[in-house]
Parts: sequence; C-alpha cells; structure tokens
Amino acid sequence: MEEIVPKFNYIVVVILMMTGLWSMLAQSNLIKKCIGMAIFQTGIILFFISIGAKDNASIPIVAKEPVNQALGQAHAPEGSQPQAKPELAAAKAKDYPNPPDVNKLTNPLTQILMLTAIVVGVATLGVGLALAQKVYQQHNSFDEDEILENQTK
Amino acid sequence: MPELPIWQFDTLFLIAVVLFGITALAMQNLMSAAIVFGAYSFLMCLIWTGMGAVDVAFTEAAVGAGVSTVFIVATIYNTGVSAKPKHPRVGFKLFAGVIAVATGALLLSALPDFPAWGDPQSPVNATVAPYYIENTIEDARVPNIVTTVLADYRGFDTLLETAVVFIACIAIYSILRVDSAKATVDEPDIIASPPAYDPTDSLIIRQASRIMVPFMQIFALYVIAHGHYSPGGGFQGGVILGASVILLCISFDLKFVLRQWTEKKIMLLTALGVLIYAAVGVACMFMGGDYLNYNALDPVLPGDMAYARYYGILLVEIGVGVTVMFSMIGIYMILASNGRFKRGL
Repeated sequence: MEEIVPKFNYIVVVILMMTGLWSMLAQSNLIKKCIGMAIFQTGIILFFISIGAKDNASIPIVAKEPVNQALGQAHAPEGSQPQAKPELAAAKAKDYPNPPDVNKLTNPLTQILMLTAIVVGVATLGVGLALAQKVYQQHNSFDEDEILENQTK
Repeated sequence: MPELPIWQFDTLFLIAVVLFGITALAMQNLMSAAIVFGAYSFLMCLIWTGMGAVDVAFTEAAVGAGVSTVFIVATIYNTGVSAKPKHPRVGFKLFAGVIAVATGALLLSALPDFPAWGDPQSPVNATVAPYYIENTIEDARVPNIVTTVLADYRGFDTLLETAVVFIACIAIYSILRVDSAKATVDEPDIIASPPAYDPTDSLIIRQASRIMVPFMQIFALYVIAHGHYSPGGGFQGGVILGASVILLCISFDLKFVLRQWTEKKIMLLTALGVLIYAAVGVACMFMGGDYLNYNALDPVLPGDMAYARYYGILLVEIGVGVTVMFSMIGIYMILASNGRFKRGL
C-alpha cells in the first residue's frame, strides 16, 4: 500500500496502455482499433502530465504580484512619464515576481509536449478513420475476418 | 496508511477513466462507443485540470471530446454502426490479453524507480523546466509559460507539429478524395438508405446553431489573442473555429457551408497557416537573426526586445490557428462526404 498510493497514477497509465494495446491487437473492428489507439495515446499523455504535476502548485501562469500592482496603481496618476506605450502597459516586467517561485508552478514543459501531441493525435486518428472508410468502401465491412474472407474469395 | 499525496477526487476520476475506456471498447454499437469515448475524454480533461495542466485540458476538451468524436461519428455515418464480430475469436483475444498483460507487468516492474506523484524535486521537474518558469517574463513578457515554451523556446517543435497536421490533412485527401465526375468504379451512393428521420430538418437545431456560431467564433479569436495571459492559444482557438464551421455543416448541410468554404479555399488556407509560421522564421533571418529568433524582429515591431518576442509569438499562434482550423474542417468534410465533397452529415 505504501508503495502503491504515491504512485497510483503510473498504475492507471499502465492499465490504460494495456487496454489500448489489447484493443489494437484483439478487436476485429477497425473503428474499435482506432479508439484503442486513442486510449493508448491518452495513457501516454496522462503519464507525461502526472510526472509534471507538483504538490500544492498552481497552473503554469505567472501571477502578478499584488503588492507591486497596488503600488503601480497608486503611482499611476502622478507618474509624469509612462515608461512604456499605453497598449504595452498590461505586462510590464516589474509587475511580476522575479524570478517566480519554481515550486509553486507546475512543469510547463511536459504540458506543451502533450498539447501538440493531442492535436497531432487527432490528425492521425483522422488518417486512421480515412483508411478504415476506404476499406469499408471496398469490402463493405469493418470486420477484419470478413475483409480477409473477401480477399481470399 | 501513508499520507495521501493526491486528493481523493483524482483517484476517483482515475478509476472512472479506466472504466469508461473499457466500456467504450466493449460497446457493440459504434455510435455508443464514440459517445462513451467522448465522455472518457471529458473525464481526462478534469483529471488534467486537477493536475494543473489547464492548457492541455482545454485542448483535450476541444479536440479529444469534441472533434475526434465528430470524426468517428462522421465515419460511421457513411458506413456501418454495428460492431458485432463475425467470429468471436476467443482464443486470439486471450492470446492478445496475455501479450498486453505481459507488457503491463514489464512496465509495472519499473514502478519502484519512478519518483512519487507530485514530487517537485523529481528529475523532470528539477532540470530544464525551472529555466522556463524563471525567464518567461524576462524574455518575452508572457505570463502563460506554456505559450512561451510552445511558440518561442520550442518554436521549431511546434512548427513541425503544425506541418504534421497539414501533412495528415493531405494524406486523408489522397486516401479518400474521389472525383465523382471521373469515377468509373461502380461504387454505391454515399448512403445506401437515407435515415428515416432527417436531423437537418430540425428548426430548433438550425436556429440555435445560427445564434451560437458567431459567439463561438468570437470566443475562439479571443482564445488565440489572449493565449499570452490565460490558457489558450493557436491550437485551442483553431480547433474551436473549426468546430464552429463543423457545427454549421451538421446543423444545416454540407452544401450550405461549401458555398462559402470551397474545397480549394480550405486547402489553400490550411497551407497558408504553415506558411505564416515559416515566413515569420524567414523574416527573422532576413532581419539578421537566427531562424525563429524573434529578437531579430525588434526594429519592425513595437516595444523593446522582449516585446518583439511577445508579438512574434502572437504571429506564429495565428499561423497555427489558421492551419488547425482549416485542417479540422477539411478532415471533417472529407470523412462526412465519403470523399466526394457533395453531400454528407
């Protein structure tokens, strides 16, 4: 139990990957194979996201420092020369903590890798579905066994 | 009992997600399988939000739960719904199960070597990632670190991922596209028997989507433009823009949308997005910098050096958004119309 509880996420990842792998191997329906591939993929994404998670950490967006923000507002009316153009005033570097507390923000790197992986994943799912549809046009079936029988006929 | 490093809700969702995944695969009806798979994706989204990955959850909600479900439904619409296997293949299924379990056991045997869930000092959290967190404001003035890493620090990666989406779109065209004028094969019509109830007839759905679509598109533009400060960016905004047009295809008719967005336009605009991204990189080279080093664009963009990167990120996000939007529309249309671009779901 002491081994399992802190590492429960990895166990779920492995179960999802096993489910996806089994489905890609054993299911005879081509669409089910595609869904299995997507489940395998979400398993991998879950792995990356959960290794990037940190205890008591917030989302990876740097928040403005409340103290500086209040000071900035108080000084704004009397400030004779704004140091940036008005449209750029939203993200001045001095409003933000420097440097931000690394332990309070989750890991952004694993997230961006997986963000692009999801979009590429849907594109590859589309390719898989297109192939399945083409096979259906030829054989009028998604079932592997039927397709094989059609071919040997 | 050790202290729980995770909250119970996460554990609950993780168990539910496994159940949903298995249910989606066990369904005998492909339409139900697609819907359960959509629910599975939404649960995944909740889990990722709980782990602090809001951008990923946003993408999964738009892509995994939204567009991929629609793709599966569009495929099923032109083909068959039943997933009843002709032969049960019990022996083979058991054999595949043994292989899957063996693979799982092999993976689980590495379990003691992994860092605990949520450990801030684990190798993945303590090596390169802190650099991004500490320098995003200094380098690019972008508070959303995911956006900075996506479009700036790892800009090459994202450029090629966008290219992959474009190439996948071309691949689907070359697999399925049929010129119906030249088609000599005696292929059956798109739908053998039209459905008894035509969903495009519903006045309520048509009027509701007529009202919803402009708001969806404005929201998507906001997601792209505000990706520097909040979860969002080119991928999410592009998918939502694509989904708004797909909604029109579903609620009205494919023909209705094709009057505006012809096949040629969609294909050209898909390529245009990748081109915008690549052109920003080439522009950096012309200004005397490295490829995709936005600092070189400083003379032509407003603000100081960091703002050059800020606006460079915005430009490439627009490119990503255009490619993703039109590739999603194109893939949907070709799947739904069985490659003929005439009529469909």
